Formats: sequence, structure tokens, C-alpha cells
Amino acid sequence: MSDSERDSERLERGYRWLLAWYPRAYRREHEEEILAVLMAGARQGQRRPGMGESANLIMSALRVRFRPRKRAASNSAAADALALFSVVAPLFLLAADVLQVAVPYRFDVRRLGLPPLLTGIIGRHPEVGGLSLLHMPLFPVAVGCQVVVAVLALLGLRWAALIALAASSLYWLVARQWIPAMPDPLQLLTAGVYIMEAAALIASPGPKRGRSLVTRRHSIVLIVAAAAFQASALWYDAAHALPFLRLRPDARGYLAAGIALLAVALGLAVAWKINWFFLLLGCVTFYPYAVQALLAHRGGNLLRMPTPGHLAVLFVPPLVFACAAILGAVLPHRYRPPVSAGPDESAPA
Amino acid sequence: MYRSTVYKDCMTNRAMQEATFLILTSLAAGSQHGYGIITDVRDISGGRVRLRAGTLYSALDRLRSDEVIDIDREEIVENRLRRYYRLTPKGSQLLAAEAARLRANAAEALSRLDLAGGTA
Repeated sequence: MSDSERDSERLERGYRWLLAWYPRAYRREHEEEILAVLMAGARQGQRRPGMGESANLIMSALRVRFRPRKRAASNSAAADALALFSVVAPLFLLAADVLQVAVPYRFDVRRLGLPPLLTGIIGRHPEVGGLSLLHMPLFPVAVGCQVVVAVLALLGLRWAALIALAASSLYWLVARQWIPAMPDPLQLLTAGVYIMEAAALIASPGPKRGRSLVTRRHSIVLIVAAAAFQASALWYDAAHALPFLRLRPDARGYLAAGIALLAVALGLAVAWKINWFFLLLGCVTFYPYAVQALLAHRGGNLLRMPTPGHLAVLFVPPLVFACAAILGAVLPHRYRPPVSAGPDESAPA
Repeated sequence: MYRSTVYKDCMTNRAMQEATFLILTSLAAGSQHGYGIITDVRDISGGRVRLRAGTLYSALDRLRSDEVIDIDREEIVENRLRRYYRLTPKGSQLLAAEAARLRANAAEALSRLDLAGGTA
């Protein structure tokens, strides 16, 4: 073997090592072809790939590995659902806030026939939610942050919305240590929305795409679902927020109203063929509240003295779902060669 | 995350990148293999644009996905695979539209330079 052949072989080995950075399917399609181009472009006596050439091949290989497939991504129901969710979820949370203030749980204590002294201590109309929320420092600031997130999402500013979401979460986590918290249903809904909203902002094509997908039907389902949430929150408040009063009779009415409204919302969503993945995102968002409500109903309140185990039960499933959505968007996709008519057999060689 | 490039409007609605324009121009006169495109692009651009293999094949892959080019034929030359690419009708239309756009822009720039007593 001559020196030039040895050099050529060595150079080819170097190029093949660099081409190994490409996905296997891509190499099957292009390796020999790219190698032919690289060898044809090599200088006389060149023994190893140049620095620029090596960097270019590695960067191109990584781009092939990590680029999302264009058509799959833009057409995927999951990607569209995430984009839609990134715009709708903050608006849903604001609607829930408004309903918590506008429709508080209130009960006339005199109906219980309690001694006047006890009635005086409790007050004649104990209230959960309502205007009293506005006097808690946490609530107006938290809602203000939610407004900022919703506006940024509506403007299509993905990263700004994500930063506002992170700041809002940080404030919420710190502030709830030293000031009275919001009602349980709203806290858990906010946590669920924040977790899934972060995933939707990161993993979706962006809120701008989501905004283009929002229709009047989504708005109607959103409003009915918010009403269902508020009815269920009234049930929760009646049954659990003032447990010593044992206000079960009206709690059942709120529960029935909540279930009926939820059935209407789901029925409309199915009838109008709203993206199934979007509905799944909604279910995951409600999961912490649903678990807490069911367990509290059976006497196992996870929020009263929350342990790490309690928090894991409430928040690990939505966190896992959110991480899966993000990983699904950022992990390398299997390379698929473009569909092509292939070499024209009739063409002269 | 979904990078913004995934959701960019399709190429027909945007200014084409120069490298893409030059690759399509190289294929306009007939089918070419990879190394032929690299040398042709260098010649067309007066040596200013030197495509590397990784960049070229990323572009060819993308253009094939967009059905702007297609494989014409394959040959084995000195034990090495040569795959020839050709413009599709869609690719020809796209290149013609981009060339017309560039010509209109250039004409406008030159006419304004004339009006301003420039050097055109």
C-alpha cells in the first residue's frame, strides 16, 4: 500500500468517525454519499479531517438528531393542544379567581340554632372566598401575577410568560409561609395550572399558535368548566372549610351542581370535537384538587399537615406528565428520510 | 422545546437564505451531485460562499422534505456513491419567484441610487 493510499484510508476513517455522530437511519441514507463528497474535497496528502470540517459535521449531525420533524410537529394534536392550553389555562385561572370572589361560600349560622355566644364568635354569615380574599395580601398580588402571565401568553410572548410564571410561583411559595393562604380549591387549581402551563409554554409551538386556535367554543367550554369548578369549590368549602359546623345539607346541592356543570362542559367538548389531548391536559390540571377533594371527603385531608408524601401524592403525577410533555418535545426524534420518488430509473446514467 | 424554526412560515413566504438560493441555482441548469453543487456554488458566488458537506446535506435534506428538490439518479464512480439531485417543478417555481424578487429589489435599489446621483 502506497503512502497516499494509507493517508486516504486514514482520512476516510476520520470522516467515518465524524459521520458516526449522525443517527443510524441518516447514515444508512447518506453516509457513503457524504463520504464521497468529503473525500473529493480533500487536499492531496490530507491525513485527517480539518477542524472546521469536523465542527461542521458534528453540528450538522446534532441538528439532525435534535430537530423536530416539521410536519409531525406542526400537525400534531398534542403540540396544538399544548399551544392552546398555554393561552387558555391562565384565562381559566383568572375566571376561577373572579368566581371565588363573586360567589363565596356563605352560611347563615342562625339556621344551626347555636348558642348566641358561639354565633357571636363565628359571625352570623361565615364566608369562604368572596371579598375577604381581597383583604389578604397574597391574593391580590397572586392574581396580579396571573393577569401578567395571561396577558403575556395572549401576546404570544412565550419566554416572558414563562419568566412571569416562575416569578409568580416563587412569590406564592415564599408568601404562603407567612400569610394566610387562599382557599384550598383555588390553591390546588393554581398549582395544577402553573405546572401544566410551564410545560405547555416550554413544549408547545408557543402561545401565538395557541391564540390562533382559540374559538368561541373553547370560550364556552371554559366558562362552563369554571362554573363547575366554582360549584365544586362551594361544596368543598361547605363540607371541609368549616368542618365544625357540619354544613352537609347544602354541600350536596353544590356537589350535584358541580357534577352537572362538569358533565355539560365535557359533553360540549366531545360534541364539538375539542382536541382530546387538550382535555387530557385539563384533567391533569384538576388532578391535585380532585385527589384532595376525594380524600378530604373521606377524612384524609392532605393539605392540613402536608408531609412530603402528601405533596408527592398531590403533585408528582402532574409533574411527571409535564416532564413527559417537555421531554417528548426536546428529545431527539428518529430520523426519517424524506419521502421521495427516488432515482429516476429512466434517466440516462 | 419546539424551536421556532419548526413553525416558521414555509419558505415560499419568506426571503430565501443565500445558500439555499445558490444550491437551487446550481440545480437549475441540470441535476448535480453533492460535490458538484459545492464547486458550482463556489463558482456562482465568486468564491464567497463555500459550502461544507454537513451544511450542504442539511440543506438538501430540508429541500427534499419541502419537495423542492428530488433525487435524480445514482452512480458509482471510483467505488464511491454519487447521488444526483434535480429541481422539482415546485423548486423551479420557487427559484423563479425568488430570482424575480431579488431582481425587483436590486432594480429598485439601483434606480434610487441613480436618483440620488449615486454610483450605479
